[in-house]
Amino acid sequence: MADSVNYSIISSEIFLLIALCVIMLVDLFQRDKERKLTFMLTQGSLLTLFIMGVQDLGVQETIGFSGHWIQDQFAVVLKLAIYLTAFISLLYARPFIRERNLMRGEYYLLTLFSILGMMIMVSANSLLVVYLGLELLSLSLYALVALQRDSNDASEAAVKYFVMGGLASGFLLYGISLVYGMTGSILIDEVANYIAVSGANLMIQFGLVFIVVGISFKFGAAPFHMWLPDIYHGSPSSITAYISSVPKIAAFGMAFRVLESSFGGADIHWTPMIMIVAMLSVIVGNIVALIQTNLKRMLSYSAIAHIGYFLLGLSIGTDEAYAASMFYIIVYALMTLAGFGIIIFMSSDKNDYQQISDLRGMGRYHPWYALMFTIIMISMAGIPPLIGFWPKLEIFRLLVINDHVLAAVVAIAFSVVGLVYYLKVVKEMYFTEATDSPNVSNSRSLKIAISVNCLLLVIFGLMPDRIYYYCLSAFTSLN
Amino acid sequence: MTFQVIVFYSFAAWVVFSALMVITSKNSVKAALFLVLTFASASVIWLLLEAEFLALSLIVVYVGAVMVLLLFVVMMMDIDYAALRQGFVKKLPFAIAASLAFFALLYFFITHGEFSAVHFAQPEAKSADYSNIKELGRVMYTDYVIAFETAAVILLVAIISAIALTFRGRKHRKAQVISKQLAANKRNRLKIVSMDAVVEEPVSQVNDVEEEGEDK
Amino acid sequence: MLENYLPILVFIAIGLGFGAFLELAGYLAAPRKENFDKTLPFECGFDAFEDARNKFDVRFYLVAILFIIFDLEVAFLFPWAVVFQELSWFAIGAMGVFLGLLVVGFIYEWKKGALEWE
Repeated sequence: MADSVNYSIISSEIFLLIALCVIMLVDLFQRDKERKLTFMLTQGSLLTLFIMGVQDLGVQETIGFSGHWIQDQFAVVLKLAIYLTAFISLLYARPFIRERNLMRGEYYLLTLFSILGMMIMVSANSLLVVYLGLELLSLSLYALVALQRDSNDASEAAVKYFVMGGLASGFLLYGISLVYGMTGSILIDEVANYIAVSGANLMIQFGLVFIVVGISFKFGAAPFHMWLPDIYHGSPSSITAYISSVPKIAAFGMAFRVLESSFGGADIHWTPMIMIVAMLSVIVGNIVALIQTNLKRMLSYSAIAHIGYFLLGLSIGTDEAYAASMFYIIVYALMTLAGFGIIIFMSSDKNDYQQISDLRGMGRYHPWYALMFTIIMISMAGIPPLIGFWPKLEIFRLLVINDHVLAAVVAIAFSVVGLVYYLKVVKEMYFTEATDSPNVSNSRSLKIAISVNCLLLVIFGLMPDRIYYYCLSAFTSLN
Repeated sequence: MTFQVIVFYSFAAWVVFSALMVITSKNSVKAALFLVLTFASASVIWLLLEAEFLALSLIVVYVGAVMVLLLFVVMMMDIDYAALRQGFVKKLPFAIAASLAFFALLYFFITHGEFSAVHFAQPEAKSADYSNIKELGRVMYTDYVIAFETAAVILLVAIISAIALTFRGRKHRKAQVISKQLAANKRNRLKIVSMDAVVEEPVSQVNDVEEEGEDK
Repeated sequence: MLENYLPILVFIAIGLGFGAFLELAGYLAAPRKENFDKTLPFECGFDAFEDARNKFDVRFYLVAILFIIFDLEVAFLFPWAVVFQELSWFAIGAMGVFLGLLVVGFIYEWKKGALEWE
């Protein structure tokens, strides 16, 4: 009721919503084909949100709006990661969409709406609000994928994404409704209370199966991964970069809120399911990625593998492991953004260059960018000095400590398999004879963005404790 | 058996029958109409659960609007429905097995275990002046305000994406602009240019000269 | 509460019964002389040569979807209007925000020209 209304805990969402309405109306009255003002306003509001978020760091956990909303360190850290990755992805997008008639105000508007959806997902404290946030996110993403109307691939990807996303939402909602029927409350705290008092009975477990399936679907974890490569491949590359990175962070927030915050008392029931899904993703993702010749498809299978590693962390079920998972997903988002950044970087004119063989001669003609791409690939493979190594190490370490030695061994083995296809890209750049210079973008902002993104991977790799510290703080403050 | 139970079973039978017809009927228009019947019967079941607002909004929103749109699309779209139905028979056994298994599971949960009638007391029937809509209204705009506003944002996204995906710009607009018509006067329609009288040269000669010039 | 809806049930029963009766009566009472020509399409005297289904302009879809969005909005307005008098200012403000967002959407579609036809 009115006494529990505390606007300060929802201030960033209110700000974004107002900014959105303003940008919408400003965009409406613009004749500029380049949409420069819309772009500036979008990035400006993301920066403002980032500053607001930094000031919120270290907040006390506050629950408001009749228990439907929560503000805590966990939400703040995730939101900061969301703003940062979204900001970078929009930088990447600009030169790419200019060439493809995608430079429309809606591109920025829908991106901002999906960010609002993600913020709602990570700050929700009731299953209903989690679900609505998810729908807001998904709806914007479906439209973003379909935005390139004249492309058959993009339309097909959008329809597939829509159908699969709808199915996943259906599973999730069905599970939630069963849990609601059993516990009589949609609030996460009350569900947790119910489980603490009466234990997880058969009905709760039944609902949990659906919830886990729905969440795995949304993550694109095997065996619910079939849609993911097609969609990543079919959508315009700048949108692929966006949907493969930023929403994963929010999906982690959702998975944590739904699985741990609500069903933490019943974790013996859902951690084995997550473990199975995670192992399957690691195996399927790494093996199928080996035979891909299209860089975009390879990266999407590698995304499945990465989701597998990340879910392994989630399946351990200790606070430290959640922090490691969070660390992993944030790092993964940065890496995959850079990975799809390569494709954007190669395809800045009307043609799309997506084959791994299109990278030939990069080492000879563009040594700096070849170095950048090598950094991305090596970081994704998880080789020491780079950032990709640390969360992987942390997850493997926690797996061993928590008596999941077999899982750790399998994951490490397939991590070595993964090395093969990442290094294949590096080999193609340096050691395959090329007659012609590969196509690269000449947009200065894109060059800067990709260099900064890659250097971030190196810098964070040298001091991984910076990010990890915040991830840990999100979970220590919970207790 | 009370009267309510009879009503429940008859409409539940309608739901099951029409839902089956939706997926089995060969004609897609009929399938869509059976879906309407499914919704209408389901809304009666919701009414029996005393969720009158949901029951009525199911009719207003789904039957009244969504299904009309769906029917419209189904009737107009140029789709080969025979091709869509390929493999129906081949996959039927799996579908039946899966749905039977699911039915058995649900039946088990409803009759045994924590979800069964033993664990839940039968709710009291509401009195005649009970208003479901009022109960909803009392909480929807206060306790559930976040969900409510999120719903508004989702609708807003739906507007934007529908326009972004289907709207092709206002290029071919032929609408009258009445103010412009009224403001028209002689000066901006007719232009009188004064010029010297020109005596035309014979046309053929000129052409010959030009062609020769091009050849050189 | 349910007794309020009994008239609707009676109405459904009568409607079903009456409809079924008419169909049945026609089936039983009407003379039936089957003839091949009667089963042919009447269309202007010659056989149909293409499917009635056709590709249609996507603008119809746009109008329909915009209609549905505002139709849904009404579903949210009903409970509010019913308890309007007992609601706090907070709840009235909540509806204000809800409508405000949709008005922004409305301005957007109007100004874009999505509501114009030719």
